[in-house]
Amino acid sequence: MSRIALALTINGQRHDVLTEAHRTLLDVLRADLGLTGTKENCLEGECGVCTVLLDGMAVDSCLLLAAQCQGREIVTIEGVSSRGGDDVLARAFIDCGAVQCGYCIPGMIISATAFLDEHPSPSEAEVREALAGNLCRCTGYQKIVDAVLAAGRTSGTETRGDAR
Amino acid sequence: MKTRVLGKSLPRFDAPGKVTGTLVYAADFSLPGMLVGKVFRSTEAHARLAHLDTTRANGLPGVRGIITAADVPDVRYGGAVKDETVLARDRVRYVGQPIAAVAATTLEAAEAALAAIVATYEPLTPVFDVETATAPDAPLLHPDWRTYTAMPILHREGNVCNRARIVAGDVERGFAEADRIFEHRFRTAMVHQGYTEPRAAVAQWDSAGTVTVWSNTQLPFEIQNTLAEILAIAPSKIRVVVPGIGGGFGGKLRVGVEHVAALLAKRAGRPVKVLTTAEEELTAAYPRQATIVELKTGVTRDGRITAKHGRIWFDTGAFAGSGPGVASVATLVLAGPYRIPNLDLEGHAVYTNKTNCGSFRAPSGPQSNFAVESQMDIIADALGLDPLDFRLKNIVREGDEGPTGQVLNAVGLEECLVKAADAIGWNDRRPGRWRGKGLACGRWTTTGGSSGVYVKINTDGTIALNTGAAEIGTAALTGAAQVLAEELSVDLEDINVVSADTFSTPFDFGAQGSRTAFAVGNACRAAAVDLTRQLYALAAPHLGVEPEACALRDKHVVADGKSLSLAELARLSQATGGGLIAHGTFIAPPTPYDTKRVESHAYPAFHSPSFHAHAAEVSVDPETGEITVENYVVAQDVGFAMNPTYIEGQIEGGVAQGLGQALSEEIVYDGGRVRNPNLTDYKMPTTLDVPRVQTILVQHPSLVGPYGAKGVGEPPNIEPPATVANAIAAATGVRITSLPITAEKVALALRDVTARSAES
Repeated sequence: MSRIALALTINGQRHDVLTEAHRTLLDVLRADLGLTGTKENCLEGECGVCTVLLDGMAVDSCLLLAAQCQGREIVTIEGVSSRGGDDVLARAFIDCGAVQCGYCIPGMIISATAFLDEHPSPSEAEVREALAGNLCRCTGYQKIVDAVLAAGRTSGTETRGDAR
Repeated sequence: MKTRVLGKSLPRFDAPGKVTGTLVYAADFSLPGMLVGKVFRSTEAHARLAHLDTTRANGLPGVRGIITAADVPDVRYGGAVKDETVLARDRVRYVGQPIAAVAATTLEAAEAALAAIVATYEPLTPVFDVETATAPDAPLLHPDWRTYTAMPILHREGNVCNRARIVAGDVERGFAEADRIFEHRFRTAMVHQGYTEPRAAVAQWDSAGTVTVWSNTQLPFEIQNTLAEILAIAPSKIRVVVPGIGGGFGGKLRVGVEHVAALLAKRAGRPVKVLTTAEEELTAAYPRQATIVELKTGVTRDGRITAKHGRIWFDTGAFAGSGPGVASVATLVLAGPYRIPNLDLEGHAVYTNKTNCGSFRAPSGPQSNFAVESQMDIIADALGLDPLDFRLKNIVREGDEGPTGQVLNAVGLEECLVKAADAIGWNDRRPGRWRGKGLACGRWTTTGGSSGVYVKINTDGTIALNTGAAEIGTAALTGAAQVLAEELSVDLEDINVVSADTFSTPFDFGAQGSRTAFAVGNACRAAAVDLTRQLYALAAPHLGVEPEACALRDKHVVADGKSLSLAELARLSQATGGGLIAHGTFIAPPTPYDTKRVESHAYPAFHSPSFHAHAAEVSVDPETGEITVENYVVAQDVGFAMNPTYIEGQIEGGVAQGLGQALSEEIVYDGGRVRNPNLTDYKMPTTLDVPRVQTILVQHPSLVGPYGAKGVGEPPNIEPPATVANAIAAATGVRITSLPITAEKVALALRDVTARSAES
C-alpha cells in the first residue's frame, strides 16, 4: 500500500509521519507516535474516548483521517496536561473524585478544555450538554460535571450563581 | 473513631496517571514486532461446521499465522460446566462464535485474511428463547452434555445447565394461610457491561516456553489457570500481568481474548495483540442474561407475606458461562429482604443459540429485584397499603434469618428505607399529574475468597503494598492502602502499590463480587499486625524497653519518650537481617446456613450482607411516554465508609448503569443475530440522561470487614430498574413488567388504558 508523507503539529511539536492515506488520526497518534493518552474504543464517534483538540475544537480522532490534519493544530491529553494553567482541570477531576477506571477521562478533559475556553463560567446544564458526547460507565457523570464546574469557577473570570 | 487516613475522602493513588493520559491500559500496551490478532466468527446461530478453508487466507501478504480448532489442544473449559472450546470444532452455537483466528502485520492484512477464510455450514434447528429450549422436544444445543465435566452439585438436564433451589417451610401451607395470592410474570433484556475500554490482551512467549499475557482481566489468577487448561501447559509457565483496566463490571472476569492472543503468538513466534471491537463486544462477549421471572406471593389482609413461590429462567446463551452460579444467587434475591416463612425458589440456567452470558455487576440482582420489588408495589396497591409501610412490615431485622437460614446481623435496612423515603419526600408520592415516586430495597453479598498481600517497609520510610488484586476503577486498592496506612501510622502517599502479576504478587481471588477493599483491606490489617510486631522487636533494645512498651505514632515507634522512625528501623533491619516484610492473608469465614434448604446451589448464603434502599421521582410525557428521572436517592448500608467520596462514586455510577438497564439498554436479537451491535443503537446513558444522585451512607458495622466495612460496588446497580418501574407506575397508573421500560412501551400502555376507558 502506498504511503504519504504528513507533517502534523501535535502539542506544539512537528511530527513527520509516513503513513497510508486511509489511516485515522487516532491510529497515527497511538500506533505511530505512541501518544496513547488518547484512547480507543468504538471507532465510530459514539463514545468520545478518542477526543482531541483540532484548532481548539474537540473532535473524535477516530473519525478524522490523519491526512486531513495537516497544517492544523492538534492537541492531545499529553499536551493539555503539560500546558501549565490547564492543569486546573486535571486537578479538579482529582479533587472532585471524578476519576474511577479513568479510560474516558482524557477525552472528558479534552472536551471540557474546549468547552471552558468558550464558556469560562458555565451552568451545570451547559456542562452536561458539552460532555454529552463522552460516555463514562463508572461515575454516573456527577463528579465529572462537578469537576468541570469547579475548574470553571477556579479559572473563569466571573462567577455565576451555582447551578447545582 | 479518630483516624489518620481511614474514613477520609483522600484522592486515589492512581488518579494523576489517569488524568494526564500516562497510565498504560491493556489496550495501550504494545511490544516491538507485535502482530494484530483477529477472530473469524460464525455467521450461523446453530449449524454443523461442514468445512473450513484457510488456504487462500494463509497466502495473503502480511499474514503470519492462522489457527483453527485443528491447531489447538482439544480441551473443553469453563466455570461450573466445562462446555466451551477456544474455536468451534464441528458445530457452531451462536452468531459470533470464534472459528479461527489470524495474526498479521497490520489490522488491514488481518481483516483481509478473515475475508478470505471460507466456512461451509449445514444448518441445525436453532433455539432462541428459554421457553423453546425447555420444551420437551427441544433440540439439544449440547447433545453430549452428560459427558462434560461439571461442578458435582449442579442439577443439569438437556438444555438446562443448572436448576438451583431453595425450599423453606411449606409454601402450600403458606398460601393456605394467605388472604390474597398474587401471580405475576416479568421479563428482562440482555444488557452489556459497557466498559469503555475494549477487552485487550498482548501475549509473548519466551525461549523457556513461558508465555506472558498482559490483559485487562479482573482475575489474573483465574486467567492463569484457565490458560493452563487451554494451552495444556503448567500454570507456572503462564504469567498474567494486568496493566490499567478501563472498567470491568464483571465482563472481564473470564478468559475472552487472552487465549487467542497466546495461541496466535505461539503460532506466529511473535507477540500478538487482540483487541475487541464494539461489534464483537455486543455480539460475542459476556453480557447480563435476559430473564423471565414468575412470582406467586401470598399475603394476609393486613400485609404480612406468608409464602413465596418464585422461578427465574436465565437465557445463558450457547455455553453455561456464569449461568449455573447466577441462577443460584438469584434464588437468594427472589426471597427479597423480607421475613417469609415459606419459600420455594428456583433458578434455571438455560442454553440458547445466543452469545454466552456471564457476570455483570451484582449478577442476577437487578433482574430478580425488578420482579420482587415491582410485585411488592402491585400487592401494596391492591391491599390499599402504602408501599413503604408494606415493606417495613415485612423487612428483615437484626437477628432474623435469611432465606437459607443464615442469621443476619448489622441489618441497616429499616434505616435505609426510612432515610431514602424521607429524602425523596415520600409523604407526597404523586406530586403532580404524570409525576410519581417509587422505591425499592434489597440486600447483597460481600463475596468471600482469599486475599494475600506482601508489605515491605522501604528504607525511606515508605511502604510497598504488593497485592494480587487488580484495580479496576473502584478505588478499592486505595481503600485497602488507606487501611494499611492507618494501621502503620503513615500517610496514603507513603504507600506504593504493585498489583496483579501472577509471577510476583501473592494470590488474590480477584476484583469481583464487591470484595476487593473488604478482603485486601483485611489482608493489609494482618500484614500490619505482623510488621508492627517486627518493628517493636527491632526497636525495643534500641529504645531500652520491652517490645510491649512500644507504640506506633506518626511514622515512628515510640516508647519512654524516645523514638525511631520507620525509615531508620527499615535500614537497621536491612543491616542486621532481611528487612521488614510481612505476608498478610485473609479469607472470609464461612457463613453458616441450613444445608437442608438448598438444592444444586452454588451460592447458598450472602456473606457480610449489605442493605440498601433506592427512591426516585420521575415525570412522564403522556404523549410520547418519555420518562425523565427527576430525583434519585440511595441510602446504602456500607458498614463503614473507608473513603466516602469513592463510595459515592460507586453509588452514582451504579445508579447510572442501572438506569440504562431500566430505561434504554437492550441487546436486541432477531433470529439469532444482534440487530444493534454498535454504540449508536445500544443506548447507554449520557450526561443528559442521568440525574444527580443523593447518597446517604448508613453504617451498621459488619463483624468481618475492616473497621466494619461491607462490600459496596455491586449493590447500587441492583435497585434502579424496580425503583423507576414503581415511580412510573405511580406517575401514570401503568405497570410495565418488562425491561427496558422504553418510552414506546409506556406510550403504548397509556394508549391501551385510554382505549379501554373509552370502551367502558
